[in-house]
Amino acid sequence: MTDLSVSVSSSAHLASHPLPEAPAKVTVRNLNFYYGEHHALKNVNLTLGTNRVTAFIGPSGCGKSTLLRIFNRMYDLYPGQRVTGQLMLDQTNILDPKLDLNLLRARVGMVFQKPTPFPMTIYENIAFGIRLYEKISKSEMDDRVEKALRGGALWNEVKDKLNASGLSLSGGQQQRLCIARTVAVRPEVILFDEPCSALDPISTAKVEELIQELAENYTIAIVTHNMQQAARVSDKTAFMYLGELIEFDDTSKIFTSPTDRRTQDYITGRFG
Amino acid sequence: MAVQSDVIDDAGPYDRAKALSAFKLGDVTFYWITRLSAISVLLILGGIIISLIVGAFPAMQEYGLSFLWTQRWAPSADPPVLGALGPMYGTLVTSFIAMLIAIPVGLGIAIFLTELCPQWLRRPIGMAIELLAGIPSIIYGMWGFFVLGPFLANTFQPFMIRIFDGVPVLGAIFAGPPSYLSLFNAALILAIMVLPFITSISVDVFKTVPPVLKEAAYGVGCTTWEVVRSVVIPYTRVGIIGGVMLALGRALGETMAVTFIIGNSFRISSSIFAPGTTISAAIASEFAESDGLHQSGLILLGLLLFVLTFFVLAAARLMLMRLEKKAGN
Amino acid sequence: MNPIYARRRRKDIVVRGLCIAAAAFGVTWLALILITLLYNGVAGLNLELFTADTPPPGSTEGGLRNAIVGSIIMTVLGVGIGAPLGLFAGTYLAEYGRNDKLTSVIRFINDILLSAPSIIIGLFIYGAVVVPMRGFSAIAGALALAVIVIPVVLRTTEDMLLLVPNALREAASALGLPRSLVIKRIAYRAARSGLITGVLLATARVAGETAPLLFTALSNQFFSLGLNKTMANLPVTINNFVQSPYAYWKQLAWSGALLITLTVLALNIGARILGAERTAK
Repeated sequence: MTDLSVSVSSSAHLASHPLPEAPAKVTVRNLNFYYGEHHALKNVNLTLGTNRVTAFIGPSGCGKSTLLRIFNRMYDLYPGQRVTGQLMLDQTNILDPKLDLNLLRARVGMVFQKPTPFPMTIYENIAFGIRLYEKISKSEMDDRVEKALRGGALWNEVKDKLNASGLSLSGGQQQRLCIARTVAVRPEVILFDEPCSALDPISTAKVEELIQELAENYTIAIVTHNMQQAARVSDKTAFMYLGELIEFDDTSKIFTSPTDRRTQDYITGRFG
Repeated sequence: MAVQSDVIDDAGPYDRAKALSAFKLGDVTFYWITRLSAISVLLILGGIIISLIVGAFPAMQEYGLSFLWTQRWAPSADPPVLGALGPMYGTLVTSFIAMLIAIPVGLGIAIFLTELCPQWLRRPIGMAIELLAGIPSIIYGMWGFFVLGPFLANTFQPFMIRIFDGVPVLGAIFAGPPSYLSLFNAALILAIMVLPFITSISVDVFKTVPPVLKEAAYGVGCTTWEVVRSVVIPYTRVGIIGGVMLALGRALGETMAVTFIIGNSFRISSSIFAPGTTISAAIASEFAESDGLHQSGLILLGLLLFVLTFFVLAAARLMLMRLEKKAGN
Repeated sequence: MNPIYARRRRKDIVVRGLCIAAAAFGVTWLALILITLLYNGVAGLNLELFTADTPPPGSTEGGLRNAIVGSIIMTVLGVGIGAPLGLFAGTYLAEYGRNDKLTSVIRFINDILLSAPSIIIGLFIYGAVVVPMRGFSAIAGALALAVIVIPVVLRTTEDMLLLVPNALREAASALGLPRSLVIKRIAYRAARSGLITGVLLATARVAGETAPLLFTALSNQFFSLGLNKTMANLPVTINNFVQSPYAYWKQLAWSGALLITLTVLALNIGARILGAERTAK
């Protein structure tokens, strides 16, 4: 407990006054989710503030990743899954069965647990997504790729080997390549699904720094099993347990004076 | 390292929905191309069955079930007399002898490769066996015709005939005269051909045995053979039987390895050193010059072969699937 | 040493010996076949083999040019027709139809077709193509080979695509990539060497197929490029020459057999090297 409180209070981010309430980017109302018979999410209500970082914590199996994968309807790739309730991205109903999923996913980008560079060059990894939506000249494309790689804090490391395979990078670099790739498509929301769980501490620090910078321009949701990471990067934190949203508040509040007994037990390491 | 704010600002006018809608047609088209291709597999099976039945229909009408137990094959008689007994007998006997040789040898090689062989030798020998499986069957047939047939007729056959001369039953099975063209020679070539199938499937199947099971057996002091006999083989029995059935399916339908050296005789003889024929050999050697009822009779033979191999192969697959399920759990 | 243990040990040694003997037995056949093939085939390898057409009966001049060209044409056509079909069908099974009832039925049927007797395929094409077209033809031969190619390519395609991690598909979908592009640009690329391996194996399989050509393409003593006529090809030419009374024809059969075997072995080894590269990665 002492260790945790030290790291929380020393976080520059949290030391500042709580941020003013931001306008809602994503609104979740009475959301329920089923894997076949299993009731995986129970009546979840929350909002993701525009240009804010929202962290989802909780023991494994609590439904935090499931919730994240509803934001871009990733669950649609697999059969036997069902969702009820309301989920809005600005004025768009994400759960609308007629919604163009590819369009949705262009607006809501995602970075995964394990780095997933495509089997092509670094340059192509970025250009690939851009080319999908836009027809632009070679020089414009070079420009966009550079910007995206700068956005992913990777440019300086790869600018001399853009034609090397994306698979030749280190794990941390691969993950930043994936972030750059996501940024390149110019989404509005970026979902991070335990983005650092496969990375070493130094790479983790770089990715965390990057996430906070990205928050200037994007609305961010991050699932993490690492409470200190949530404390370091997020403005708001949601604690989930057994498919329910237990507590959702400013990160500083969740980590210093949680109202629910279970939240307190979890952040003090009594279970999880 | 700050994020450029212009990443958003210079987004410019572009319409994602329009860009994406350009892919819609391609997306649907690709789905249907793949789906129809997949369905074409069923159409091929249907096509095979229909074309065989249509082609065999005149012969079915003419001979009915008696086709199955008539030994005489006289396509140039008037009217032609056709019976499937000879080729069916030859098909079953050659496959049976081939499996009798190939199963123990194939399993022996598989045990050697998985349990006994030093690591460095595993790849070269495994590779050699797999390459043996890739050699086209006509090469086996040709080799059997020019090399193996004469060799067997001059050495192995006279030897066996002398030994079993006068012995009841066996004397009739190994009766002379020695011949380049015989059921036994064909069966031996078949055995060499299916050997790699049995070996490579058995090796795959042996690999599904959890190492901890084998370690436990070695741990109580079992010898290699005891581990194989009481752990590996019982655990993988279904898979081994599946692999053997698969090889049997191949042997039953194999054409070119057999045609040259089986002698194309429709008469049934008790001796395995006598010439005979198989369904596929009969079709291969007579079909191109056949017509009318003769051709229809050959297609009917083909239909019989197809039905036979279909059931053998289906049983093989079901058994291999059962093992896969077990390995998956 | 206690007698029970001694007996167990003896038994073990005997069985080990038998297994080693079995392995030696298998490898010996391969060596014997290759040696005879080389010994008899090399004698006839010369330029004439590739420049002259198959000789008439009794002649002692001539080569296999028409048969070689015919085999290449029909193999390329057969693979050209069968491989895309097998590739797309395998794609459906691995990408779209994973949880489909249809998929398990197709996979089962395909596995049976994979080992179905090739002479039956010949009979099928005879009834479905040769009879309606009123004549043997190269295109019928190519179609028969295509029917053999499809199950091989389908099987490897499905296996290889199933090895592509789902995370990669999700990552591509997360960019907003339509399903068909996820498959074509990402999954195919990730599985590329495996897919090529499948096509190479299928080519090796049909390059030496004889039975399905016997009464579809038949053979042709002369050089011909017409797809609606009979066409010479190596396997059927070998089949005809082996059983002939002419020494020169037998010699040509050996040389042709050597050519086929070397081609098939090269394709198989190439496929294996590609496959090994893939697993090393």
